Amino acid sequence: MTTILEAQGLSKNYGEVTAVDNISLSVKGGALFGLLGPNGSGKTTMIKMLTGQVRPTGGSATVLGFDVIKDPVGVRDRVGIIPEQETPPSFLSAIEYLAFVGAVRKIPDLETKADWWFDFLEFRDKKNVLCKDLSRGTRQKLMFAQAFIHEPTLALIDEPLINFDPIMQDVVKEYLAAYVKKGKTIFISTHILEVAEEICSVFAILHKGRLLHTGPVADLTARDEHLPQFFLSLVRKDRHV
Amino acid sequence: MFELFTSMVKEEWRMHSTMFGSLSFALFPVMIFGIAFMGAFLLPLVRSTLPAGNLSLIIHSNFLLLGFMVGAFGLLGNEVMNRRFGQASFLAYSARSLPLSEAHIFFTFVVKDVIYYFFLWVFPFGFGYILASPFISVPLNVALLLLLTLTLSFLYGLCTVFFLSAMYARSRPLLMGLVLLLGVVGGLLVAFTGMNPALFFPPLHLYAAFSWVNLILSLIVLSVLFALAVLLFSPEYAGTTREYRNMFSPLAKRLSILSDPALAAKDMIDLYRSGSAIGQTLFSFLIPLAVIWFFLSLLGPYLPPHGLIFLFAIITGVIASTMYTWVTMFDSFGPYACLPVTVGRLISGKLITFSLMQIVPAMFIAAAALLSGEAVNLVPSVVLCLAVSFYAVGIMIWLTGLSPNVLVYDVKVMAIYFVLLGIALTIFSALAFANPLYALASVLLFLPAWLFVQKGKARWDAVDPSGF
Repeated sequence: MTTILEAQGLSKNYGEVTAVDNISLSVKGGALFGLLGPNGSGKTTMIKMLTGQVRPTGGSATVLGFDVIKDPVGVRDRVGIIPEQETPPSFLSAIEYLAFVGAVRKIPDLETKADWWFDFLEFRDKKNVLCKDLSRGTRQKLMFAQAFIHEPTLALIDEPLINFDPIMQDVVKEYLAAYVKKGKTIFISTHILEVAEEICSVFAILHKGRLLHTGPVADLTARDEHLPQFFLSLVRKDRHV
Repeated sequence: MFELFTSMVKEEWRMHSTMFGSLSFALFPVMIFGIAFMGAFLLPLVRSTLPAGNLSLIIHSNFLLLGFMVGAFGLLGNEVMNRRFGQASFLAYSARSLPLSEAHIFFTFVVKDVIYYFFLWVFPFGFGYILASPFISVPLNVALLLLLTLTLSFLYGLCTVFFLSAMYARSRPLLMGLVLLLGVVGGLLVAFTGMNPALFFPPLHLYAAFSWVNLILSLIVLSVLFALAVLLFSPEYAGTTREYRNMFSPLAKRLSILSDPALAAKDMIDLYRSGSAIGQTLFSFLIPLAVIWFFLSLLGPYLPPHGLIFLFAIITGVIASTMYTWVTMFDSFGPYACLPVTVGRLISGKLITFSLMQIVPAMFIAAAALLSGEAVNLVPSVVLCLAVSFYAVGIMIWLTGLSPNVLVYDVKVMAIYFVLLGIALTIFSALAFANPLYALASVLLFLPAWLFVQKGKARWDAVDPSGF
């Protein structure tokens, strides 16, 4: 499998605070990669750097062959992104937002694709409601639709299931699994370890902005270990370092 | 009560210092003090051309407008903050999560606004004037009285907005009826007594003729407005699931001759559905300009022939440039962060919408020229107005990118803005005053405007966008 995403010594400082500290990792095509870590460990900053939303203060990264520093728009043109906070524009309705995304991304046959997403995520009854009046769960559905409507080779999702009810979580997990089976790649960040263990093929653990571990979930299974226990022991050990 | 008050003050301070930078914001009252102190030394010069009564009218009306603005932002703040910073909220809207009554929270909120903005705006201005008063032979008691009446003007603006918005939330027909009634009664009083309507404004009346009775009457009217606002206030937000037909696709198709129809269509829908298209045009453009026209007309005898329309065109141009804040005020880069767009492209998109909106000032100044018997100067005044507007917006984009509100409280940015704008306005107002046709030379301003926009796009593309 080819390397879809590669980071070398990626760092981000906000003044004197180091959010991400010298992280190197690579993601192969067809993987469902999980970036795990406690709150404030640097997961969101990492996704923002990998999608060209914020500039790294050190290191480099390429996504689908595009340099995230030199060509952030090229990166965002080719990937799908669901940010941590669901923030579709306030005064557009759900269908108008998807039409807006379609116009910016130049997606053909947008209406048919949007209709499929309204049915698939079961929010057709909200398609004409303004984004500001949508519930958090429905906004998350909308953001999910906008991230996948152009069927990107790589989708980067910050906390993919956090606002969904259990039924919708199941629908989304199945969708993600089927998506990677088609040869596409998913990069998620989450602190819900059970979900990560269930759906991810490869994972990395961040703590205090540093990379503690990266490897296939299958390696843990082979050792009869579970991801939550492995994660907790690693992070607790690191707290005392 | 006191803990809530101090928390609200901290909240307000942190909101401003986050938006404008701690030092820049902390220097703001110092700048207001400096302007008042130094401006006071110009009073003997101003008095020789402008009657003292008109000057006090202008200053008091400015503080009344300040009260309106502060009150309006306080009430819209929650909405604005949510859009600019994501899931943000004000303590004033926390009645559902705190064991405090809505009236109690609102009372504390108003007290906080009064004290916070008194020390931010009113006191530095009044103090500057008080310190300068011995040097310009103004008795100390007059300077102190000005501080008192400016404070009252600010409070009248604040409480009027709170009262009207509380009425609006309770009963729109009642509010309309009240506004209509006040308009008719005021109109009849002016028509039959021939009195200057400004004299009905208690703080101004108090400044013109101080008496304890006038002061008590002023305070009673203010207290009634305040009490009614607190009693009528409701933070309840009527949630809605109203459906809207898809306006975006047909509008984007209609705008396809523009370079970025999707962004322009989105901005126009935002303006239309937020009520800003009508509300802002009325309250941030037409009403202030009507008030300014009234004041400028007092300057007629002191201006060169045809000077009034050109001065008005310049001021209209400066105010028209603030339409850029209308298209950026409810937006941040957040919603665009997952799309392949740069800050520069967003600025271009906003500028397209801004340009389309310039039809309003163009028509306005054309109407003003026709109605004031200056039809012969219609074209030069419209050109001057639009050139000033685009030049000012160019500076604004270069200095602030997608956050033009930074101009309000960031002293450094504001100073650069005024210097750059002041130079151009001085040159082109002098040219227009010398010969009306010279006003056409203001088309030259489009060149620096374009350069500022290009530099601004490059500048703001090179930094991490705000709004995360």
